[in-house]
Amino acid sequence: MTTIVLHRLGQAVLVLWAAFTLSFLLVQMMPGDAVLIRFLDPNMGMTPEDIARIRAFYGSDQPVVQQYVFTAWSFLRGDFGYSVQSGVPVWDEIALNLPPTLTLAGLAVLVAGALAVVLAWAATLSPFGWLRHALGALPAVMISLPVFWIGIMLVQVVSFRLGWVSVIAPGPWERLVLPVLTLALPIAAPLARVLLSSIERIERQAFVTVARAKGLSRQATLWRHVLGNAALPVLAVGGLLLGELVAGAVVTETVFGMNGLGRLAERSVRTQDIAVLQAIVVISALGFVLVNLAVDLVSIVLDPRIRRTREALA
Amino acid sequence: MTRTSLSLTRRTLLASLAVMALPARRSVALETGTPVQGGTLIYLEQQPHTQLYPPAGGFYPNSGVLNQITDKLTWQNPDTLEIEPWIAERWEVSDDLRQYTFHIRPGVTFSDGTPLDASAVAQNFDSFGLGNPDRNFRPSEVVNNYDRSEVLDPLTVRFHFKQPSPGFLQGTSVIGSGLVAPATLARSFDELGDATLVVGSGPFVAASQTTGTELILRVREDYAWGPKELPHQGRALLDEVRILIVLEDSVRIGALLSGQADVVRQIQAYDEPQISAAGFNLYAPPTRGINNSVVFRPDNPLVADVRVRRALLHGTDTAEIVATLFSGNYPRATSILSSQAQGYVDLSAKLAHDPELAASLLDEAGWALGPDGLRQKDGTALVLTAYESLPQPQNRAALQLIAQQWARLGVTLNVLPGDAGSATVDNLDPAKTPVSPAMVGRADPDVIKSQYYPANRNVLLQKGGVSQEVDSFVDDHLNGLLEGIASEIDPAKRLALVAEAQEYVVDQAYAIPIFEEPQVFASAPHVHDVAFEAVGRPSFYRTWKSA
Repeated sequence: MTTIVLHRLGQAVLVLWAAFTLSFLLVQMMPGDAVLIRFLDPNMGMTPEDIARIRAFYGSDQPVVQQYVFTAWSFLRGDFGYSVQSGVPVWDEIALNLPPTLTLAGLAVLVAGALAVVLAWAATLSPFGWLRHALGALPAVMISLPVFWIGIMLVQVVSFRLGWVSVIAPGPWERLVLPVLTLALPIAAPLARVLLSSIERIERQAFVTVARAKGLSRQATLWRHVLGNAALPVLAVGGLLLGELVAGAVVTETVFGMNGLGRLAERSVRTQDIAVLQAIVVISALGFVLVNLAVDLVSIVLDPRIRRTREALA
Repeated sequence: MTRTSLSLTRRTLLASLAVMALPARRSVALETGTPVQGGTLIYLEQQPHTQLYPPAGGFYPNSGVLNQITDKLTWQNPDTLEIEPWIAERWEVSDDLRQYTFHIRPGVTFSDGTPLDASAVAQNFDSFGLGNPDRNFRPSEVVNNYDRSEVLDPLTVRFHFKQPSPGFLQGTSVIGSGLVAPATLARSFDELGDATLVVGSGPFVAASQTTGTELILRVREDYAWGPKELPHQGRALLDEVRILIVLEDSVRIGALLSGQADVVRQIQAYDEPQISAAGFNLYAPPTRGINNSVVFRPDNPLVADVRVRRALLHGTDTAEIVATLFSGNYPRATSILSSQAQGYVDLSAKLAHDPELAASLLDEAGWALGPDGLRQKDGTALVLTAYESLPQPQNRAALQLIAQQWARLGVTLNVLPGDAGSATVDNLDPAKTPVSPAMVGRADPDVIKSQYYPANRNVLLQKGGVSQEVDSFVDDHLNGLLEGIASEIDPAKRLALVAEAQEYVVDQAYAIPIFEEPQVFASAPHVHDVAFEAVGRPSFYRTWKSA
């Protein structure tokens, strides 16, 4: 077990370093820089000397290698530098924008999980064949819907037409209803699909037949024997969906005009605010690594087979 | 990572909005005549404000805030464009236009309690006129030839200029000359992104802000110094203005029509019918400055020949652009200046759409039509490039329509997206962007200088501006005219120079004016007396809600 964890931690560090380096290089390759974008506005009437002075302040006049080493060293010490666009420390921007995104994403994951289970449940146990088929096809439809379209439709119908929730100046919980749904629907879809096929596969296995033969109802078998086993692949897929969650947050936060890491990411890409962008990339990579680490560890707890294979290999 | 790029997302959103056109709930309008005091106005902005240092107030989201929280020395009547008293009760101007003396209205205070007196005004204009490099304050583009201030007594201040500064009086009335407390001037430019640190003397005070999403302005109960000419005096009628940032056009309009918002900014021409059909109010105040135009960068050899530029001017069908993309609120341009600007001259005869003349001018300039239908000279094709300007209404569509019109002449115009990473840098390089969209609003002839002068906005990219990529292009004749406009003492002579500059720019075909750009706002039927200053910035001082 310890070997596995150490092995995974090593991988995590490697992933973080690669994410940091690649994002650094990619941003360097773009023409122009944040200082130009912000200060070359003719409204500001700056002279080339002014701009050189600002560039020296942000250290962006140094050679690329030196900037890389300096930035990497600062990151290791937890210093993310200053945002050129807003002029405040990157930490302040992150502190302001991370909590709303975590709330949004966390709630979306919960809702998505619940939706997936309900959908899979209904599609498996529905008494009518046509309904089972219809429910079974729903995840494929949901996967095909772009996040921004779901968001804009929810706003138009639920808020503007039905008037159930307000999107302009809503209360603290009201504010979250539509964004959470928007983000949850496309995540629930792959989860439901994997869960459905996984339930089908496991229901055909011998131990389920034995359980049924002993006189357990189908519903009871599903709860006690099938669901736990069917959850494993869902968990694995869930870990990978974090990327979807980050991408979805960018669009959701834009449509609903919320503060958050997604919108901050969009802004920092647009204005080439490297310091902010890198902090977001590293934080997202960290999130990705942590979630997948947690998924792996939980899988090991859930499934003794993995533990044995891994230990045998290690 | 994302399934679609973000700009694509925005565009598709707009398209999906047009397709959906869901009928929205309508709020009930109660038309009454007597203004009601109290209530909160929900104002939806498209973009968050940036730094609120007054001279940076040209950016519309900034001016929407600054116009509520700051007062100006003088008030430009938006109907007559006359300069009337506000914080200055009266003023004297020396005959050589090098000394301006203002007498300050007594009893005016900033919202932090400090007095708005001669010394505070002097500090403001020292900062606006000269800039302050230590705080990253740039000089204001509306204060030309500034030398120094002199406090004559606690309520009298005199400004001295190195050369005549005929635009200064009007310059004291614009959004960029909002007066702020000395405590605000002591902060650095970057800090002023926090509106609550911008202390003004206006009818509202910035109470709290959530950066990027919301700003709450609260009424100042003791406000008693609005412009004397206004029918309303005393405190503002509203208790509170909540400015909320909603990026998506469809969400802003839907929120307004469903009764969740009171006033929204930035309505595209194709959304106007939706608003009027629902019985809501549309406002399209003019910006009275340089019209929405396409400009050339003659440093680029492809457009260095005046015949090529004139050919493209006559090959552009502005009537088609206005009819296809815009509405009656966007009048076709008849000069580089707005027809509602001071010194405007009707040059429509020189701006006629004439494809035959265009073709013969190109032939004359040596650009022959090749077998593929494209103009060529010495093996080079006439291929031009422009970046879309994001703040201008439907700019990409307008440029694409121009590209189609020019294609009929055998000229290619590539239109690149304005959110491309390379846009800012390439726009400073005439070799990469021989063509560019441009406009600026201000109700004073100085606006021409702001737009074309190398040390200001420098849209033609002359040598001597901020761009390092210009080889040699300088037009001394044009710059001489512009300097004259900024310093001519005799008003009649000054307007003559304005006329000459307009003709010169059109004769040289440096710019193709397209339409007079309005700022389009909409409000719910229960909202009354939304006012606009001379170049279309909203003022909520007199606004009230009858619901």
